[in-house]
Amino acid sequence: MSSISATVTVLDPIGLHARPAGQIVKLVKESGIEVRIGKAGEELVKANSPLRMMAMKAKTGEELLVEIDTDDQALADSLISQIQDFLKG
Amino acid sequence: MSAPGAILAGMGVGLNAVRAEVFRVKPAKPIPSAHKHSGDSETEKHTLKGAISAVGHYLDELGLKAGDTSAEIFEALKMLLEDEDLFETAATQIDEGWSAATAFIMAVDEFGELLAGDAAFEERLADLRDLAKRVAAHIHGIHLGLDLPESGSFVLVGEDFSPADTAQFTKAVVGVITTKGGPTSHTAIICRSKSIPAVVSCSEATELLDGQMVLVDPVGDRVVVDGDESMATKTISFVAKSVEPIIPVRANIGSLSDAITAATTAANGVGLFRTELLYLSATSMPSVQAQAASYAEILKAAPEGPVVVRTIDAGSDKPVPFLNMPHEENPALGVRGYRLIQDHRQFIVDQLTSLEIAREQSGREVWVMAPMIATAEEAIEFGSLARKAGKFKVGVMVETPSIVMALSDLKNQLDFISVGTNDLSQYLFAADRMNSSLGALLNPWQPALIRALAKIAQDSDAANLSSGVCGESASDPAFAVVLAGLGFKSVSASMSQVGAVRSALSAVSAEQAKQIAQLALSSVSAEQAKSKVLAALSNL
Repeated sequence: MSSISATVTVLDPIGLHARPAGQIVKLVKESGIEVRIGKAGEELVKANSPLRMMAMKAKTGEELLVEIDTDDQALADSLISQIQDFLKG
Repeated sequence: MSAPGAILAGMGVGLNAVRAEVFRVKPAKPIPSAHKHSGDSETEKHTLKGAISAVGHYLDELGLKAGDTSAEIFEALKMLLEDEDLFETAATQIDEGWSAATAFIMAVDEFGELLAGDAAFEERLADLRDLAKRVAAHIHGIHLGLDLPESGSFVLVGEDFSPADTAQFTKAVVGVITTKGGPTSHTAIICRSKSIPAVVSCSEATELLDGQMVLVDPVGDRVVVDGDESMATKTISFVAKSVEPIIPVRANIGSLSDAITAATTAANGVGLFRTELLYLSATSMPSVQAQAASYAEILKAAPEGPVVVRTIDAGSDKPVPFLNMPHEENPALGVRGYRLIQDHRQFIVDQLTSLEIAREQSGREVWVMAPMIATAEEAIEFGSLARKAGKFKVGVMVETPSIVMALSDLKNQLDFISVGTNDLSQYLFAADRMNSSLGALLNPWQPALIRALAKIAQDSDAANLSSGVCGESASDPAFAVVLAGLGFKSVSASMSQVGAVRSALSAVSAEQAKQIAQLALSSVSAEQAKSKVLAALSNL
């Protein structure tokens, strides 16, 4: 199985804080798929840990790379658009 | 024990007094210090899982009790508590021989280090540490609940209350006293929203005993031991003597909708237009045209009179996304306000250029000022920058003790100064505004602050600078009278307070205000200054 990746932007004025991190974890756990997230050039973290995601200290305006372990483009698109939504604040 | 009639000073929250019996919240038994386990790792991990799920269940209950808006907070906390990586980190410590409780606290500390230094996470981190304590307490069979009575009437007395504590407040809690925590602490916010009379930062309350009767008197900023309702301090009602206040009362705004609301009040112009909001949510730098359009809209809507615009007051704790602002250990003392000019001169020039376009379009009288000025050189540099950019009255904020000592150097260089009392207090008293244990030092009635204000008003006069105050303190009607008496030429209040401040300043003559200011100046404590001034005002 390959993975599909995309870029999302943190738009929440407080950055990637507890609430969006929690929403992403909930979504990822429900999907049952492994999702990794991180800043370009840095090691990606598994999106099943809100604390790891908060520890990236992603600020408003920063772009994040999302990698989803699936071949299903439609499913990946839906996950990515939901993640982007959570990051709108 | 406190004797009947004793007065314990603090900071009041709310407008009504209440008399009831003291209920002290007992400090819980201490959690055993770090120790190793004697059993096998698997059993410890199992114990830890059980404790985490018990605390998770407890959060669910709190969420249900708290209802809609707060429920979301508890849900987010539960996600953090049940973080898989957090458990794995603790499990590694258990494998090293540490007990379940110790391992979990160590794991939270490890993540705490990763999250440290980011103001946005500080509160979550404190919550998470509190939860780790609960997990440890559960493992050791220690009870952490407040065990509040469900019926009767009690005044709760404790150090300070966390969100988990206030969620347990029952109907029997009719008053609250905390020995720590300031006017912006979680306890104060909850009590204000639930209309529970409270006195916070009341250090002498440690002497109160269960069963003693007390009067919680928030308007008087005090607790009276065995006091009854007749001793409650009344809110002063001012009787206007003149139509116009002795000095103009302006409004503080931060957005277009604020400007529209401010125009419905009796405010004489705007004394503080905070411009950060226009930038904090933008992901790229807005063009001069876009900035000018937003400013023109706001200027047109603002209440009649001059509009005092503060150039951007951002810092690493309040970062503007499109300006690169590196993390700082101590943002309050870092590159903020006018200091941004070191790296972002063009940004400040563009802001002034946009304001000039907006000034011309709106036909309004615009004053501009820069925040966080520390030296006369900086003030003069800003002055010439602003004059080059447009036809403004030009001034600076007085927030640092250093500029207080340099006002005479600004003679004939600037038109005005405006005091930000919150920041001036923070820097004068070396007391972090965000630290809840320091609330008492940030009380605007502190005589040292009032004396600094007196010097500012005098030195400004001597240097031909028009002086105003736009900090929170100017929203307190009684304090506004003191400010006028000290010689300030205008005050700027929060929109909701404009009417109250105007009536106070219409109820006194300039001479009376001067005498009242003298009372505050000659006091030796914040409590004394406030009570002397309130007494004088109610005897007008």
